[in-house]
Amino acid sequence: MIYSRKGAYCALIGASLLLSTSAMAGEITVWCWDPNFNGAIMQEAGARYAARHPETTIKVVDFAKGDVEQKLQTALASGTTQALPDIVLIEDYGAQKYLQSFPGAFAALSDKVDHAAFAPYKVKLMTVDGTVYGMPFDTGVAGMFYRKDYLEAAGFKPSDMENITWDRYVEIGKAVVEKTGKKMVAIDPNGADLIRIMMQSQGKWYVDDQDNLTITDNPALRASLEVEGKLINAGVVKTLSGWTEWAGSIGSGDVATVMSGVWITGTIKAQADQFGKWGVAPIPSFSADGKGHASNLGGSSWYVLDASAEKDEAIDFLNEIYGKDVDFYQKILTERGAVGSLLAARTGDAYSTADDFFGGEKVWQRFATWLAEVPPVNYGAFTTEIDTAVMAHLPDVLKGEPLDDVLKSIEAQAQGQIQ
Amino acid sequence: MTIARANGLKRSYDLNGWLFIGPSVALIAIYLVYPIFRSLYLSFYAGKGMMMKFAGFGNVVRLWHDPVFLSALTNTVVFFVVQVPIMITLALMLASVLNNDRLKFIGLFRTAIFLPCVTSLVAYSVLFKSMFSADGVVNASLLAVGLIGTPIGWLTEPFWAKVLVILSITWRWTGYNMIFYLAAMQNIDRSVYEAARIDGVPAWARFARLTVPMLKPVILFTTITSTIGTLQLFDEVYNLTEGKGGPSDSTLTLSLYIYNLTFRYMPSFGYAATVSYVIVIMVALLSFLQFYAARDRS
Repeated sequence: MIYSRKGAYCALIGASLLLSTSAMAGEITVWCWDPNFNGAIMQEAGARYAARHPETTIKVVDFAKGDVEQKLQTALASGTTQALPDIVLIEDYGAQKYLQSFPGAFAALSDKVDHAAFAPYKVKLMTVDGTVYGMPFDTGVAGMFYRKDYLEAAGFKPSDMENITWDRYVEIGKAVVEKTGKKMVAIDPNGADLIRIMMQSQGKWYVDDQDNLTITDNPALRASLEVEGKLINAGVVKTLSGWTEWAGSIGSGDVATVMSGVWITGTIKAQADQFGKWGVAPIPSFSADGKGHASNLGGSSWYVLDASAEKDEAIDFLNEIYGKDVDFYQKILTERGAVGSLLAARTGDAYSTADDFFGGEKVWQRFATWLAEVPPVNYGAFTTEIDTAVMAHLPDVLKGEPLDDVLKSIEAQAQGQIQ
Repeated sequence: MTIARANGLKRSYDLNGWLFIGPSVALIAIYLVYPIFRSLYLSFYAGKGMMMKFAGFGNVVRLWHDPVFLSALTNTVVFFVVQVPIMITLALMLASVLNNDRLKFIGLFRTAIFLPCVTSLVAYSVLFKSMFSADGVVNASLLAVGLIGTPIGWLTEPFWAKVLVILSITWRWTGYNMIFYLAAMQNIDRSVYEAARIDGVPAWARFARLTVPMLKPVILFTTITSTIGTLQLFDEVYNLTEGKGGPSDSTLTLSLYIYNLTFRYMPSFGYAATVSYVIVIMVALLSFLQFYAARDRS
């Protein structure tokens, strides 16, 4: 009797569990990778949407970026749609790879989202054969963050950091190393981040607009490799391995400058003990004429899976918050340092607020200005492969081998990878 | 009648036998045999992700012209050519030392040397990564002792990255091989050593002329399994280099390359399957060679 009653309770609980799962049909699962950045932003977006649509809940799942990409790729390749979320965040460099290799996996949003309201370069990165597949999210407009205290100790004022050339940057770096014992910048020789920043500031990429490989005939890549070689050989670089160590070098105060996308602001501002010590300047340029100081690193967008059961709801959610909510963009800018790509959001008040962390500087306005100057480039579908090819030959650059030969071997390696 | 009954019994035994092994045969067929043939089939296809077209031997041709494949192959060969002999010698020496009954705390030493084998591959790789980082414990100690003037770029310089991988796998697997030798040594008749000692054979010769030849089958076995293990090296290099096989492809192994071709790069499943068959062929060839070299010439 007791047992059967227990059994009945179990059955009841089981049934209610089943019921509750079916009642949560309006649950939208989102994959992203940074709990302090896009994860937190998606939580905020979900809260805003749920306030107006109580029947919907947004479930944000964040894990390491590499794992998101691998899990997505595995699930897409296996064809099991159950393993997939409803919305996934994809970095711009990888967007074309997914769109081209898994046609039909992502929902076409051309008719559902007004893409004209977004920065055109973002929209271009998510377009295949005239169809647009994503909801543009953040941009990675690049800046040079620098430690005012270190540079002051080395004899440089903030104005000395404005609109400098890369050669001048190396010189400043030598002075910083000599006077403070700190390094100028941290580089992970496994990643081509700095090369990407330098290359895009010159309006070039590994491929041209028709997706043809441009390596040997690419003066921008040549110049970027030359500068990276100069930097490392001048002894101003702290070489380390992996994202954790790289981000750790900011917190530990080992480096005087950080060259990265605007999204790194969150990580920098997380160092409460470094309050007021940081400044922001445009990235160095290759010419002394004041041009070429704007570039980009990273940036990502939201994609809806076509097989999702909550596809329409997910699209509506993205549209309502990311496509229209200007106030939302103000909040994620000041709180998380996210520079969105919705053009209408750029005129908001938040962009003109001063940030005390940066000594009262109007940093957001500066990033917004640079954003307008970022040369749009076509990333193509093979950035990871060509990155690897380029970095594989960095030791040759450091050894002083002729750059033309190095570019030739890079091209040979890249050619083997992109078929 | 008895014959018919015996037949019935036999049939029933046959049926029961098949029923017993049926589930495992089915599982092996689904998860082992099918993928093997499926990947062979895949290796004749090429294309981006799901957009695959028949390519014949196109992937083999691509293999031939792919510098990354060649460096992955070279790295893998370097790893097992350098690491396996070091590890086998070390394991043999340790085993012969730990086979000495007069040694105190012998159980402690055996456990200590075997212990790395029970740690997870990922856990120890992550630990090694942090120990060998630029500001890690290892560099700090070496600097403090005065052995080096500047920190070694274990994870940022191609040569040292290879050294680090070899160090790690040696640390992880030496104890494992040692246990095999220890077990085999305990099966060697003590009277052989006694006779040798009476004949005045020095200790090193007893080791080289008696122990090693008598361990030949075990040495062969461990060499083959270690070689195959090194050919499939993945976890360590993946975790030490965040899946990149860097710096500058210096720790890229064939298995890691297969992973990258499937999960990091534009997915080319067909080409990845082709590379995996290269490992199959290498394992088969090397195993054959080792058996051939160690055959009994009687």
